[in-house]
This record gives sequence, structure tokens and C-alpha cells, in this order.
Amino acid sequence: MRINGGVWVLASAACLGFPLMLCAAYFANSAEPPVRVPSNVAWTEDTIAEASGGDALRGLLISRRCEHCHGEEGFSAEAPVPNLAAMDRLAFWKQVEDFRSGKRVSPIMQTIAGVLTEQDSADLAAYYSMLPDSADPQDNRSFPQRLSAPQNVSIAARLVTLGDGERGVPPCQACHGPVAHVRGAPSLTTQNGDYIFAQLEAFAHADRSNDINMPMRTIAGDLTEAERRAISQYYGAGLGALPAARLSSQGHDRPDTGDVVTGASDDVKVGAGKTAKGSFLQVRR
Amino acid sequence: MRSSKLRWWLFVVPVALILIVVRFPYMVDVPVWKFLDRGSIDPATLHLKGEFVESNLGSAEQSDGSVLVRIVAQQYVFVPQCVVVPAGVPVRVRMVSADAAHALTVEGTSYTVKVVPGSVTEQKLQFSQAGDYAMPCHEFCGAGHYAMRAHLRVVPRDQFRELGPAERVNCDAH
Repeated sequence: MRINGGVWVLASAACLGFPLMLCAAYFANSAEPPVRVPSNVAWTEDTIAEASGGDALRGLLISRRCEHCHGEEGFSAEAPVPNLAAMDRLAFWKQVEDFRSGKRVSPIMQTIAGVLTEQDSADLAAYYSMLPDSADPQDNRSFPQRLSAPQNVSIAARLVTLGDGERGVPPCQACHGPVAHVRGAPSLTTQNGDYIFAQLEAFAHADRSNDINMPMRTIAGDLTEAERRAISQYYGAGLGALPAARLSSQGHDRPDTGDVVTGASDDVKVGAGKTAKGSFLQVRR
Repeated sequence: MRSSKLRWWLFVVPVALILIVVRFPYMVDVPVWKFLDRGSIDPATLHLKGEFVESNLGSAEQSDGSVLVRIVAQQYVFVPQCVVVPAGVPVRVRMVSADAAHALTVEGTSYTVKVVPGSVTEQKLQFSQAGDYAMPCHEFCGAGHYAMRAHLRVVPRDQFRELGPAERVNCDAH
């Protein structure tokens, strides 16, 4: 078969040109200053479709390898291990992807997530997002944790529901729910306090740096260690479940004044962790 | 009687037409700012590439002596949250939004930098003397809007030079 001369010219141009383009792209990139990328995940339409399009039934099968630490119902028996039940799909998927790419560092989770595919993490995300976050007294779970410093509840309640405008600390629940949500932010209402504290500390000291555009490193760095601990215990005791949980004082009823600030007075006793696990929230509507 | 009615129509119809024409861009939701700003940018991929990657945020001294500040506005923090600039030098702010409309107001001055997702806003500021300013968000952007506040620290020019090498300058280095 006779091959046209023009085809040869085109083919050789392509053979030479393509490596040259690669070289040019490489050197063009290397001339720029080093770029720090917090996470390879970007919330483009394709990524959102992939992360939220998992198969929960397949996720159920994969979740067998997560159960040992994260619990059969997505509630961990160990407080430093996060609860996964009812976690937002995008938040779940992003963390698994960050473990896979090494953007979030954890020797254990990087190993485990390393054998998953992107589809696997989407399936797991679908499965765990469907698990109920309601309390189950028969389950062996560490949530809710007992409040070790109830006097700090008012500090935490203020930061969680109102933030601190003077310092530029937005309220936690403006992104993490239940008041409003921001894409990729996990719900904290049934998260273990010890885990939250460890993550806040890691963000504050930039040991964890996979938050896109640095919101968590900024905010956690603004808070003091005592505040980070108070917030963690607040969530860990299950008090973050309502927009402005009005905590009942056990024993005596308080008049319904309609104010939203919780636990502001000293006589408020927080019921979390003291009662049966089935009703961890002592909330009066 | 008839002529006065005619005059009334001659007045009302042009006025109504002018109002409709002026209103038109807003009626069909034409993003007017797209024609006013200096380029567009994908708000979802700011952290991956381009000038707004996190290692490039903050103040940087330019070869002509002016200072370029890059800021990312997002729900509900400005990054970097504390910006250092020198006094008596033109300061160019390039700001971008990752999610919603925001506006950075320098309290006590007339400076406001507005951003909408998808475009870069550039604005020139200049401060004659050193001082600290609060920079709250001045455009309602969601549930945490009222707590969205950055800080601006204006320092003398020589002090700014000492802050660091050619790296980006934030208050942390202070």
C-alpha cells in the first residue's frame, strides 16, 4: 500500500512534536515557585457526580473491613476513632481520596484507603451516609461521651452557635450543620469528641492541611486550646444536634424565656452521658 | 381634553421605555460584572493551580515597590485572615471568591473590595500611616456572615521589608 507523503510529514511532526510539548510543559511548570496543594479534590460537577453516585449495597460489602474500628453501625467503640454513620457523602469521599493521595496523613488510613478505588470510596460513602445517626442503647459505642468539664459548655455553645465576630471566628454550625451546610463539611452532631479535638489540634498546628482554601487551619488557629477542647466535648456529648440546643436543667424546670444561649447559668446541668444512651439529648423544645 | 391626554402619554411612554431599558440587564440576569473585572477563574479549582493556590496568598512586594495582596474569600473566612501591608505604598488587592458573593470592607476607610464567584476583583488601596484595621465582610454571604472578619495591619515601610524574604507575608511572620 502506497502511503501519501503528507501522512509521513504529519506522523513525524506528531512524533517529534508531542515529546517537545511535554518537555515545554514540564519546564514551564518547573519555572514557577513550588505550589502547595492542600487536596487533589476539587468540587467540580464531575467530582460531585462521582462522589455522590455510589452504590450503597456494594458499599455495605466493602464496609466489612471498616467495621472493626468504625463499628458495625458506623459508631466506633473507641473515642479517638471517628463515627461514620450518616456522614455526608461528599465529606466522606473527600477524606478517603485525601488518604489515598497522601494529602491527609494517617499511617493506618492511608494503608487501608490505598487499596480502595475511587468507585469503592463512593460506594462506601453511599453506604455510610444511609446509616442512621440515632442512638442505639444496645450497641457498643463510645458516643456520646461524658462531659468532663460541664462548666465549659457555655463557652462551646457560644462558639458553636454564634462564633466570635471580634476575632473572625464563624460559628461551627454555619458550615457543619444543622443550621447550614457547606459542601464537603462533615456533620459533627454525632462525632466523637476525642476525635474532633485531635483534628482541631492538627488543623491548628497545620499537621493536618487538607482543607481546601484553608478554612479549618485558619479557624482552629484562631481558637485557644481550651476553646478547642470545649467545642470537642460539646459535640462529643451530643449537644450539637440542634441549632441552639436549649439544655434542660435536670431536676428543676426553667421558665421558657425564649433565649437561645445555652448553658449560660451555673445551675444548668447537662444531661448528656448521664442517662441511658437511648436518650442522650436532654433537650426541651 | 384630548391634547392633555396625548401629552400625558407622550410623557409616560418614553419614561417607561427608559426604565425598562435600564432595567433590562437585571431582568435577564446578565452578569454585568463579567464585563467590568479583569478575568475569570473557576471557583472550584482555586487551590489546585493559578495565582490563588494557598502558598501564594498574602502580601508580596513587586519589583516596582508596590505591594500585591492576594486573598481568597469563602464562607466564612478570608484567607489569609490577617494581612500585612506597608504604609505609603500603592497596594493592589486581588481577591477571588470560592463560593458566594463577598465584600471586604476596610473599616474606617472608604475601601470596599467586592467579589463574586468566577471572577477576580482587583483594587488599588493606599494607606498613609501605620495602623490596624478590621476588615469585615460587607455582603451577606450566609449563616456565618456576621462573624466573617479579617484584619489588616499597616506597618512602616522599612518594617515591612524586614518581615521576610521574597516570600508571601502574613501576620504570622510578625
